[in-house]
Amino acid sequence: MGLFTALGVDPRNVVFSSDTSEEQGRQFGKGRGTVDCCYPVKCISGHYGELLFGQRQKLDVLFSPMIYTLPSFMSGHVAKTLTCPRVMAAPENIKAGFIKERDVFAEAGIVYAAPFISLDEPRLVPKQTFEGLREVIPGLTYEETVKAVEAGYAALREFNARLRRKSREVLEWCAREDRPCLLVLARPYHMDPGIGHEIEVDLQAYGYPVLWVQYAPVDADLMAWAFGDDVRAGVIKSAFDIHDVWPSSYSSNTNEILWGAKFAARMPWIACVIRLSSYECGMDQPTYTPTQQIIERSGTLFFSFQDLDSTKPSGSVKIRVETITHYLQKYAADIIARKKAAAPPGCPLLAAPAEVSA
Amino acid sequence: MKTVGVDVGSTTVKAVVVEDGKVGWQDYQRHNTRQAEKVVEFLARMEAEAGLTPGRDRVFFTGSGAGFLAPLVGGKLIQEVVAVAACVERLHPDVRFVSEIGGEDMKTIFFTATGTGPLPGDQVRSKQVYMQSACSGGTGTFIEKTARKLQVPGERLAAMPYEGMSLHKVSSKCGIFAETDANTLVKTGVPVEEIIASLFEAVVYQNLATLTKGNTPMPEVLLLGGPNLFFKGLQQAWRHHLAKLWVQRKVELPAGREPASLIHVPAEALYYACLGCVEIGAAEKPEIGVYQGADKLKWWVEVGQHEQKAKQGARGLIAGEGDLATFVSEYVRPVPDTPSRASHAGSVLIGCDFGSTTAKAVVLSDDRELLFSCYALSKGNPIEDAQSLFRQVREAGFTDVGALALTGYGKDLLKDVLGADVGVVETVAHATAALHFYPDADVICDVGGTDVKIMILRQGTVADFRLNSQCSSGNGAFLQGVAERYDIPLERYADRAFEAKAMPSLTMGCGVFLQSDIVNQQRKGWSAEEIMAALAAVLPVNVWIYAGQLQNLRAVGRKFVLQGGTHRNMAVVKAQVDFIRGKVPDAEVVLHPYSGEAGAIGAALCAADWTAHGRASGFRGFETIAALTYTSTTAAETVCKWCPINCTRTFIDVQLPGAKGRPWSKLPLAAGWERVISGNSCPKGLVEDVNEMRVVKAKLEEVKRDYPNVAEMVRKDAFRRVGAGAVAR
Repeated sequence: MGLFTALGVDPRNVVFSSDTSEEQGRQFGKGRGTVDCCYPVKCISGHYGELLFGQRQKLDVLFSPMIYTLPSFMSGHVAKTLTCPRVMAAPENIKAGFIKERDVFAEAGIVYAAPFISLDEPRLVPKQTFEGLREVIPGLTYEETVKAVEAGYAALREFNARLRRKSREVLEWCAREDRPCLLVLARPYHMDPGIGHEIEVDLQAYGYPVLWVQYAPVDADLMAWAFGDDVRAGVIKSAFDIHDVWPSSYSSNTNEILWGAKFAARMPWIACVIRLSSYECGMDQPTYTPTQQIIERSGTLFFSFQDLDSTKPSGSVKIRVETITHYLQKYAADIIARKKAAAPPGCPLLAAPAEVSA
Repeated sequence: MKTVGVDVGSTTVKAVVVEDGKVGWQDYQRHNTRQAEKVVEFLARMEAEAGLTPGRDRVFFTGSGAGFLAPLVGGKLIQEVVAVAACVERLHPDVRFVSEIGGEDMKTIFFTATGTGPLPGDQVRSKQVYMQSACSGGTGTFIEKTARKLQVPGERLAAMPYEGMSLHKVSSKCGIFAETDANTLVKTGVPVEEIIASLFEAVVYQNLATLTKGNTPMPEVLLLGGPNLFFKGLQQAWRHHLAKLWVQRKVELPAGREPASLIHVPAEALYYACLGCVEIGAAEKPEIGVYQGADKLKWWVEVGQHEQKAKQGARGLIAGEGDLATFVSEYVRPVPDTPSRASHAGSVLIGCDFGSTTAKAVVLSDDRELLFSCYALSKGNPIEDAQSLFRQVREAGFTDVGALALTGYGKDLLKDVLGADVGVVETVAHATAALHFYPDADVICDVGGTDVKIMILRQGTVADFRLNSQCSSGNGAFLQGVAERYDIPLERYADRAFEAKAMPSLTMGCGVFLQSDIVNQQRKGWSAEEIMAALAAVLPVNVWIYAGQLQNLRAVGRKFVLQGGTHRNMAVVKAQVDFIRGKVPDAEVVLHPYSGEAGAIGAALCAADWTAHGRASGFRGFETIAALTYTSTTAAETVCKWCPINCTRTFIDVQLPGAKGRPWSKLPLAAGWERVISGNSCPKGLVEDVNEMRVVKAKLEEVKRDYPNVAEMVRKDAFRRVGAGAVAR
């Protein structure tokens, strides 16, 4: 939004496809699949279809960037912050299903724009965006693009900061009340109700606040408290260095998941970690064992929902959720007490003023 | 010279004899898994009736079963899709899409015009082929299996319509799931015609969903294969869906043609693969595919395959006397007596397991000793089941109840009615029971009559589990079915299976295909006990690998607890022990002493944990339960509206002091009454209707406000259109 508003597009003229759903796929994406792929990529056919055929407003441009790197709070501390290659290439893959026989975009009078964007390299982004949009927006100048990209980053920073602040408030409340919360280790698309199936909401309904690793609080005081000993001992170079547990730190989301496991292990009030993963995810496969071991070694409960696909397996999710909440009720207080005893003194979460409430 | 095309499919054998471009002889027959025998029969008939002559005429084979048969008679094998495509290209130059559905496979072929050839009017077409033969979904077996279950005879099935029927949700992915869905539909009173129409729908959906891969089936269309030819309803379903798709995709139809007229089902639809063989054969060098007579194939049928049997499966379930003796001394125990009388004063703990077919109760002393157990066959009214259990407990002499815990399907329904202190989810109940007897257990494997549960324990919790209640492979009912077919009582199963000195190896996986595999092995001469041994031996593979999807048993632990009714069959236990030790050499495999009651025991143990906090039980008392006043209502208002299945539910309203009632309901309930819903086929039906959903939702929203979820904020804000930081302009 930040980018397009700055380019002079009326916010009302920016349309997002709706949350993923099977209905969307059936109505707009049926028979448009090309190569067999994981559901988070496959479902994009439905999104494209919805934007092409399912709008009251006439659209001019379908913007679906191929994002190559992601800005991450771990940038600079890890080897690289690449996206999953399947997700990065998804726009090309999905487009193929719409131009295979006839160019559906042309028929609908929609310009298809899928610029290649290295989002974690801010100095490249204006050029890449300009290349990708100059044909789409007649008269666009490079200078305008630079400013718009800056605005986009500013909006993103503001958004991230707000959610991290919220996460910190939740943790402070837990610390003050000695209450447990859950951390979800998953890829960002699992926040989409059609892909992650809102499994964490079912747990939340039992009275547990839910944090996501993508928006973990990463303030300096908290990081110094949680990781300071390891940094001083020379085990890691910084709070966001994960080479002790994951040497090939090139994938942004994988890095954050591994870091999240370490963070959860050190955070007394995260009594339980929920892992979500989609069917046939080759990126997640090698991370199962290390994350599980890091978390379980700290005495934190760990449960994973693997092989998520298009349909929510409601029955098995219900049993799993009841299983998890049973053990949380039984063990959470002990887990928090044990982890607190093992943690360094002076947790900044406890020093916080009490007036903010979760 | 004559050319023969033979198509050896998964259910039928088809053949044509062609001379000078004319078909002189053709036939198809079901082979009932005797593919080779049927081919011998066909060859003999072709020799006698059509003058097929060894050394002169040529034979070309195609189909899934032709691979090893063709060389035995001098024939050449041609890939089936290639054969079909060749025939279509010759006979139907205008066809752009072909669907061929077989007994156990399905194929699609797309033709695209890519230009013109050297001769005037000569079209060059490229083709794209897709095929699937690993799963029963979308194939002929998918329809026939369920139709058999519904007792629809073949002729009637062929004539049943699709058009004008109301459709119901039937799983399109697997024949076994579909059968379960069909059963549920039958139970709720859906007419058979509508179920069959829904099956046709599912098959077309499955073919379009998995075998089009982004291509649009363009006119004209050809439907081939037995099911497409014989089932009128399936043809109608194709016409309906293709016409709809063409409108949606704005496909221009040839002027003046109705969509339905562009979809052809040729009368010779069965023989296209055979005709394609002949077509391709004509282009082969003359020395290829010359018929050598059927003698070698006859030898294989009479001798060869039996020799192969002797070579295969040199080992039975038991590797000699010593093996059996060790196994018996390790595992075969007399069933432990459950004390049937109370010799106990003081308060007791009760655990109840309300399953879908039986309800069980156990009584434990406060030091967690098992005192009593009983069960009731479920009659469909959970209140009556509960009354029966508590009558038995009371008659056994127990009066002072310290705590009551429930598990199983009925736990949420009955918790308030019975005044239970704890409701325990099944996984936790089973794990608690196993850990009580074996504190170092890593894995629990529960195999019941209709379901398989695997629970993986870590840190004293159920870290992971696999439940499979929809697929018949791996569960006990299948063993029982086969034992019944051989007229052997289930209690004698193990003794008979242990007698087998050798056994065939059956294929793991889908129960549909396992059935035909058994028939296949039987006719190779394997005896009843050998087949039974083989079936027990394949069960662990189905349980762990097919149903449980656990390839690496070593990763889940080393102490395995076996429980559930199917493990009363010692042949299964033996196979399990050998299988697990084969994967995990240092594994310890134990048989739960009270395998059937494990759920109820686990619940009672959770009740014991609950009392540790010194709380007083909310148990309503034996008198109150025996005297429960309730009314049952089954009416239009109780029908479940959450999905098109529309289950006919029963509302059982129970008078209960302090209950809140349901003033918002369509069947309002006064305060002092509690409602129990039964007759629903899925958990969704436990919520009465939209009104209750609203009440539940409102409560949920309140909780969610107090306990935030970061993802909800992302969902709300990330794609917000207006006002997201308009900074630079």
